Amino acid sequence: MIGEALKGHLDLLLLAVLQNGPAHGYAIIEALRQRSGGTFDLPEGTIYPALHRLEEDGLLSSSWSDEAGRRRRTYQLTLKGRQAYERRQEEWRQFAQAVNTTVGGHA
Amino acid sequence: MLKPLITAYLRSLQDELRRQGLYDPDTLAEVESHLLDSLEAGLASGLSPVEAQQHALARFGPPILLAQQFATQRKQPMQKLYFGLALAAGLLIAFVDAQPHWDDTGITVFALLLTGGVIGLLVQRRPWMFGLAIGLWLPLYYIITKQDFSMLIVALFPLAAVYAGYGLRRLVRGTLHSA
Repeated sequence: MIGEALKGHLDLLLLAVLQNGPAHGYAIIEALRQRSGGTFDLPEGTIYPALHRLEEDGLLSSSWSDEAGRRRRTYQLTLKGRQAYERRQEEWRQFAQAVNTTVGGHA
Repeated sequence: MLKPLITAYLRSLQDELRRQGLYDPDTLAEVESHLLDSLEAGLASGLSPVEAQQHALARFGPPILLAQQFATQRKQPMQKLYFGLALAAGLLIAFVDAQPHWDDTGITVFALLLTGGVIGLLVQRRPWMFGLAIGLWLPLYYIITKQDFSMLIVALFPLAAVYAGYGLRRLVRGTLHSA
């Protein structure tokens, strides 16, 4: 249920996490889990392909670093990604407000 | 640290990514790094080495599905257009070269190299396919009309050029991203 509902919003969630600063995939997944109180415990097989697509679209850039002898790929928002995040965040606010109003009205 | 399940998984993922034309050492290194992080977290939480590996791998899913996910996310509608352009350019070059009055091999080779290089800069998957789309027509014409198989060597020019363009694109992207 949550997985289906998330489909259209995965990009926004990933951009939102990276809006706080660069992070590697493992940290992004952890942040999603923690910030949602465990609700968004998304499988890695969903996250990495999405990160690659966002990079391909120019919304993210990535760089490699060595941490404790392990190569890590760190993602960060590009200018285009930041603009996309702000736009989608606004769209989400309007959508959520409309849903809240509608659903609340019938409660 | 012994991690046979993770090693086997990565080998299988590598095969699946190759099958999809998406093999990239960076993708594999990224998955490996994540799996090792998960393994360490699992061990720290009290799981056995085998359980910790199984838990980490379960979150990624079977290699074949993961490779398909990468393929789905990277679907590039423009790739079909580029393939069409490569085919058309290859056919045009072969057509011009096959004309009785045409004897400028230098221009033909230059056209094959230039087309291959430009297409190579654009494509994101399976560069060999685009190289063949450009370069196979001319040898094919000579094989059919003159049984001259030595012309097959001509197919190597656009193939090399496509790979050069493809490599240059990846190099520039890598440099820009790490800047």
